[in-house]
Amino acid sequence: MSSFPNVGKTIRKRKRDELRNPDDVDGYTSILELESQIRASRRHYNKLVTLMNLCWSQDSHVDNEESTLAVVAVCRTFCRLIAAGSLSRNHDTSHNEGVVVQWLDDRYNDYKEMLLKALSRDDTSNQSTALTLIMRLFKEEATYLRKSDETLWRSGTFAKALKTLIDAGPSAAVQDEFMQNYFQEYDDVRFHTFAQLGTHASLRDSENSLANVLSMLATVKYVPETPDDLKRSFIKSPSQPHQEFYSLSAHRKQAQDAWLAVLRQPLNKQQRKSILGMMSHRIVPWFSRVELLMDFLTDSFDEGGSTGLMALSGLFHLIQRKNLDYPRFYHKLYSMLDYDLMHSKHRSRFFRLLETFLSSTHLPAALVASFIKRLSRLALNSPPAAIVVIVPLIYNLLKSHPMCTFMIHRVARVPCTNVSGDKFQMEELDPLKTHAIESSLWEIRTLQDHYHPNVATIAKIISHQFTKQAYNLDDFLDHSYESMLQVELSKDTKKRPEIEYAIPKRIFAEHEPSSGQEDNIMVKLFSFA
Amino acid sequence: MAPSQLKKLKASLRESGVVGPQKSKKQKKQASKNGTLREGRIQRNEALNSIREKFAPFEVKAPVRNKFDFVSRNGVAGKASKGVVGRPGVTKGLGEENRRRNLLPEMQRRNKVGGIRDRRFGESDPTMTPEERNLERFVREKQRGDRKASMFNLEDDELTHFGQPLASDEAGNLEDFKEDDIELSDVSASEPEDDERPHKRQRLEDDESGSDDDRTKVDGTAQPGRPKTKNEVMKEVVAKSKLHKYERQQAKEDDDDLRAELDKGLPDLFTLMRGKPKLPVAPPPENLPNGTMNPDRLALLNGKDRAQADKEYDERLREYTFDQRSRPTVRTLTEEEKLEREATKLKTLEEERQRRMRGDPESEDQESDADEEALANGDPPDPRDSDAFGLGSGIPEEHERKELDVEDEDDFVLDDELIASNSDVDLSDIDDSPIQSDHEASEDEDREFVQGLLSKEDTAREELKFLANEKETAAKSTSTDVPFTFICPQTHSELIEISNSVAITDLPTVVQRIRALYQPKLAVENKTKLGVFSAVLVDHISYLANRPSHPPFSVLEALIRHTHSLAKTFPEEIGRAFRGHLSDMQQKRPLAPTPGDLVILTAISTIFPTSDHFHQVVTPAMLCMTRYLGQKVPQRLSDLVTGTYIAGLVLQYQRKSKRYVPEFVNNIFTTLYALIPPESMPGRPVPRHSIPVSLHMSKQKGSSSHNRELEFWDTVPSDEAPDDHNNPLKESLLITHLAFVVLIAQMWRSQSAFVEIIEPILELLAHVESQAIPLNFSHAIKGNLQKALIAARQSHAEALSNRQPLELHHHRPLPIKTSIPKFEESYNPTSHYDPDRQRSELSKLQAEHKKERKGALRELRKDANFMAREGLREKRERDAAYEKKMRRVVSMVQGEEGHEAKEYEREKRSRKNAKKR
Repeated sequence: MSSFPNVGKTIRKRKRDELRNPDDVDGYTSILELESQIRASRRHYNKLVTLMNLCWSQDSHVDNEESTLAVVAVCRTFCRLIAAGSLSRNHDTSHNEGVVVQWLDDRYNDYKEMLLKALSRDDTSNQSTALTLIMRLFKEEATYLRKSDETLWRSGTFAKALKTLIDAGPSAAVQDEFMQNYFQEYDDVRFHTFAQLGTHASLRDSENSLANVLSMLATVKYVPETPDDLKRSFIKSPSQPHQEFYSLSAHRKQAQDAWLAVLRQPLNKQQRKSILGMMSHRIVPWFSRVELLMDFLTDSFDEGGSTGLMALSGLFHLIQRKNLDYPRFYHKLYSMLDYDLMHSKHRSRFFRLLETFLSSTHLPAALVASFIKRLSRLALNSPPAAIVVIVPLIYNLLKSHPMCTFMIHRVARVPCTNVSGDKFQMEELDPLKTHAIESSLWEIRTLQDHYHPNVATIAKIISHQFTKQAYNLDDFLDHSYESMLQVELSKDTKKRPEIEYAIPKRIFAEHEPSSGQEDNIMVKLFSFA
Repeated sequence: MAPSQLKKLKASLRESGVVGPQKSKKQKKQASKNGTLREGRIQRNEALNSIREKFAPFEVKAPVRNKFDFVSRNGVAGKASKGVVGRPGVTKGLGEENRRRNLLPEMQRRNKVGGIRDRRFGESDPTMTPEERNLERFVREKQRGDRKASMFNLEDDELTHFGQPLASDEAGNLEDFKEDDIELSDVSASEPEDDERPHKRQRLEDDESGSDDDRTKVDGTAQPGRPKTKNEVMKEVVAKSKLHKYERQQAKEDDDDLRAELDKGLPDLFTLMRGKPKLPVAPPPENLPNGTMNPDRLALLNGKDRAQADKEYDERLREYTFDQRSRPTVRTLTEEEKLEREATKLKTLEEERQRRMRGDPESEDQESDADEEALANGDPPDPRDSDAFGLGSGIPEEHERKELDVEDEDDFVLDDELIASNSDVDLSDIDDSPIQSDHEASEDEDREFVQGLLSKEDTAREELKFLANEKETAAKSTSTDVPFTFICPQTHSELIEISNSVAITDLPTVVQRIRALYQPKLAVENKTKLGVFSAVLVDHISYLANRPSHPPFSVLEALIRHTHSLAKTFPEEIGRAFRGHLSDMQQKRPLAPTPGDLVILTAISTIFPTSDHFHQVVTPAMLCMTRYLGQKVPQRLSDLVTGTYIAGLVLQYQRKSKRYVPEFVNNIFTTLYALIPPESMPGRPVPRHSIPVSLHMSKQKGSSSHNRELEFWDTVPSDEAPDDHNNPLKESLLITHLAFVVLIAQMWRSQSAFVEIIEPILELLAHVESQAIPLNFSHAIKGNLQKALIAARQSHAEALSNRQPLELHHHRPLPIKTSIPKFEESYNPTSHYDPDRQRSELSKLQAEHKKERKGALRELRKDANFMAREGLREKRERDAAYEKKMRRVVSMVQGEEGHEAKEYEREKRSRKNAKKR
C-alpha cells in the first residue's frame, strides 16, 4: 500500500466517507476481497477478469469511486505479479505455466490499454490517476522484467503513454502533471522524453502533433548546467550504473535533437514567433552547437516584419559568438526600419539591438548616415515614445560617427545654393546608396517644435553642443502614451495653472461679424446644435 | 671671549661721558654759571637712558624671525630688514595705564548701586577759580530759565510789526536792554553793534552765526568735550528753521512793499508819459495784512502749552487718517489713456504668453536652480539621461513663475453677460500689490453690482435667450420662476439636484446667482465654497454633455465661460478638476472618449493658454488627444468623426504656438485610408489595420447637392443611420480632412521639414484624386480637393525653395581642459595659493578669527591679572589700615592699663607707707 501514497490515501479517505453509506460498503469490500483472493492463490486469477470488469468502462464517464478503487486494486495486483515474476517467461517454464503467463500478459496488456484510454479521455481526475498508475507499472516493469533500454523506453509502456500525452494536446492538465512530476524530477524520464518528442515531431502523424510537441517543449524551463544536476533517475536499475542520460552532453544532444526536429518542420508564423520568443533563454541553453540554429534564424530573419525582428537577437548572438556570416546584414536591417516598426510593441527590443549593431566605429559613414536619416524621417510620423528613443540614438550615432555630423551642420560653400529637394532617397533599399550623408536632419529640427514639451526638449539635444559622451538608451526605451500621461498627471500641481486672460465670447457658435474676432477652428469645421 | 657685563657697562659709561675724570671746583662753578651743567645733566640722562636700554635686552622685542627668508624674495629684501621692533615693556605699561583708567573705576564702582554724580558746571575743572565757577553757574541758570519760558517766543514780550518794534523807531535804543540779552552780551560786545537792525533779527542772526560756536566755546571752557544733548540740537534746528522762514517772509514782504511803492508811482509815470501832470490822487487806505498766519499756529507760537499743542496735533493727525477726503484721489483717465493702458496690458500679457510658449524661465525668477534652467534652456542635460527630460519620475517644473496679476475687470466691463463675475475677483485677496486704480474700480463695480444685480441678470438672461433661439419661449416661461437663493453646491449631486429643479436654459442664471450669493467678499467661508463649486461646475459640464438629451450648446458655452472667469480666481481648483477628468479619461476610456470628454477638451482649449511650452492641464490634455489619434483603430463612423473632432481640437490648441503634431498627420492618413482604401500603398506612415468595409466610401448615386456639415453629435455612434449607408457623413468627413490639409499647409509651412511632412500628404491627395471618377465625387469635394491640392503644392514649392542645409552648431568652441600646473612668479610659501577663491577667503577669515580670539583671550587674562592685583593691593591696604588701627587701640589700651597699674601701684605703695606709718 505504501507504494501508492497519493492514490491510496485519497481512496482511503473516500472509503472512510463512503463507509457511512451502508449501500456502498458492499462494493468496496467485494473489491478488496477479490484483490486479496487473487493475491492469496493462483487459483483465483480468473477473478482478475471480474475485478477488471469493475474498472472504468469505456463509455461511462461517470467518476465512479468503486471503479477507481478497482483500477487501483488491479494495478496493485499486477505490480505484485510483476514483482513475483509471474509475468515473465523463463526457459524453464512449463507449457501450463506458459499459458498462465500468456493469459496474464494479455490481461496486463488489456489493463494498460484501458489506462491509456483513460489517459486520453477528457477527465482530469481519472487522467491523473491513470498517469500515476501507468508510471507505477512502468517502473515495476523496468525493475523486474529486464527489458533492454530500447524496448523499455522507445516502444514499451512509456512510449505509448507519452504518445497519448502528446496527442492529448497542450490544454490537458495531465500533460502539465507529467512535466511537473516526472519530466522535471527525473533525468532519465527527461532524457527519453526528449528522444520521443524528437521522433514525434518528425513523424508528423497527426495534424497538431507538432503544435503539441512544441507546447510540451515550451514548458521546459529547467536546464541542467553541471553533471551533478543529473542524479535523479526514475528507474533504479543496478545493472547499468553509467547510463547515457547521466552525461550532460548526451542529455543536451537529446534535447537539441528534439528541438532541431521541431525546427525542421514547416512552422506557421505564430509558432515561429513563439519559438523565437523563447529562443534565447529556453532553447539556446540546450544547444551545444548553437550554429545549428543558424538556418532557422536566418530563415526567420529573411521573413522580415515582426518575425525578423524577433530573430534579430538570436542572430546577433550567433554573429557575435559563433562568427556567423550573414550576407548583407545591414541591408536587411535597414529594410526593417519602417513606419510599422515605430508603432510596434517590439520597438524597444529592436532599438536596443540596433544601437549595438551600429555602435561599431568601423561602419562606413554613408551607411550610418542612411540609418540616421531614415530614423529621423520615420520619427516625423511616430508617437512620442518612439521619438524619445530615436533622438538619443541619433545623438549617439552622430557622436560615434563624426563624419555624419554634416547632417546637422553644413555650411554652404557657395552661399544661397538652392537645395532643390532632398538628396536622400527614402525608397533606396541599399543603405550605402541613399545619399543620406548629403542631406540634413530637418525632421529633428521640426521635432524641436513637438507638441509635447519633453519630446521637444529631447529633440533639442541635437542642436546643442555635444558635450555628453553618449546617452544611455535604456532610459528612453520603455515609454508609451500611457506612461507619459501617467507622469504628467501624477505630478503635483503646487503651482497655480496659468489661465488664458481673454475669455472668448463664443465657443460653440460663430462670432457676430461685427465683433471682428476670429472664429474658433472647431466652429468652422463642426456645427454645434 | 667677550668682556663681562660690568666691564661693558663701565666702558659704555665712560664712552658716553657719564663718568670721567673728576672736575675741579672751579670748573664746576664755571659750568653752573654757563648753564652747561644743566645741559650736561640732560645729556647725561639721555645717555643713561640709552645705556639702560642697551643693557636691558628684554625691553625690546626682536623682529619675528622669517622662517623662509632664503626662499621668499621680498622677505629678504624688504620686510625683514626693516623689522618691527616691539617694546613689550612700553606696551605693557600702556596697557596697565589703560586699565587703571578704565577698568579700575569700573571695578571700584562694582556692586555699587546709584550714587550721585557731580555734574555741576566746572566742578571737575581744576583751572577755574571758585568765583568763576559761581559766575558761570549763575549765567547758565538764568539762560535755562529764560529758554524754558518761551519756547517759540519770537517776540520776547515785545510786539513787532514787520520785524520792527511797534513802540518806536528807537532801534538803537539800548535802554530796552533785556535780560535775555545777557547771554550774548560778552559775544556781541566784541562785534560792532549793528543798531540799525531790528532787535530780534539781530539776536537771531547772532544766534545763527555764533550760537554754535558760542555755546561750544562756553561749554568747552566749562566742560571740555560735553556733547550737545539731543534736546539742544533739536532746539537749535527749530530755531534755525524758524529764522529762515521768517527771513523768507521778510524778504517777500519787503518786495511787496517795494512793488506797492512802485505801483504807487505808476500813475505818475503814466501822466509823465502823457506829458500832462495829473492831480495827485489820495492814496487808498492801506489795509494792513493782519493775519497771514493760521490763527492756531499763531496761538501756538504765542506760547501755548507745549503738551497741549502736541495733543492737539496728534488729534488732528488721527482725524486726517480716517478722513476719506485725505486719500489721494484717482485721476479720471481720458479715453486715450484708457485705451493706452489697455493696450500696454494686452502687450505685457502677450509677451508673457510668448515667453511661456518658448518655455523660457521666469525672468524675475533667478533662484531657479541650475538643473531647471538647463532644462528650460535646453542645455545638455545632466547624467541621469532620461530623467532630465522629465520622462520618468521627478520631472522638474519647467518654469516657476510669479502669478500674473489677475484682472478680468476690463473684460467684464464689455461683457455684461457675466457681469456677476467682476465682483468675485477679489484682488486684495489674490495678490497684495494690485494696481490701485484697478482695486478702486473693482470696488466701485462691486457696489454697483450689489445694487443693480437684478437688472444685470435680466440683461444676461436676455443675452442667453438670444443665443438659445429655439428655446426662447420655454426659457421665458421658466426663467421667471427661477429662485433667487440657492445653497452653494459642494458636491456634484447637489448641483444636479439644483439643476433638475430648473430648466436647463436657466442653468447659467442659476450659476450666476450662486456666484453672486456666495461672493467671496460677503463672507469669509464663501471663497472656499466657491472654489469647490467651481470644481463641481467642471464636473457638471462633462455631465451635461454626456446626457442623452443633448443639452443646448449655448448653455455649455455659458457654463464654460463661467468656469473661465471663476478660473481666474480659483485656478488651482479648476486646474485640479480638469486634471482629474483627464486622468479619469486616460484610465477608463483612453480610446473611447465620451461627448463630455470632448467638451472638456474643448473647454481646456479656451480656458487655458494652450500655447504654453508646458502647462499642467494642457500638456496632459494634448497627450490624451494624440493618444486617441495615434492608437485608435476606427471601427465605426463615429470613431472617425471623433478623431476628426479631436484633430480639429489639436489644431485649435496649436493655433498660436504652431507646434508640430505627428499624430495629426497620421490621423489624416488613417481617416482617408478608411474612407478610400488604397489598393497598395507601400510606406504609409500609419500601421496597417483591418478597417471594416462599412467605413469605405461607396459610389455616389447622383450628385447630392446638399452638403451635410459635420455635427458634434456625430461623434456618438447612432443606430439610426448604419455606417455603410451614411455617405453624406463620409463626404463631409472627407471635406473636413481636405480642409485640414489646407490648414496645416498654412500652419507648418515654416517648419524645416515641411517638405517631408507634406510630400506623403500630396501622394495621399493624388490617391484621393484618382478615386474622384470611380466614386463620383460631388462638386463640393472636388472643389475642396482642388483647394487642398493647390495649398499643399504651393506651400510645398515654397518650402522647397526656401530650404537650406541645417546649421545647428555655430557654437563657441569649447576650450580643452588644461592640466598644466600654473607657475607662480613670486612664490611665497607663507601665503596661500588656493585656486578656490571662496575657500581661500574662508581660510583667511578663519585665521583672522583665530588671531582675534587669541588677542581677546590675552586681554581678558591680563584684565583678570590686573583685577587680582588690584584686589590684593586693596586688601593689603585694608589689612594694613586695620592693623595700624588695632595697634593704636592696643597701645592705647595698654597705655591706659599701664597708667592704671601705675596708679594702683602708687596707691598701694602709699597705703603701705601709710600703714607703716
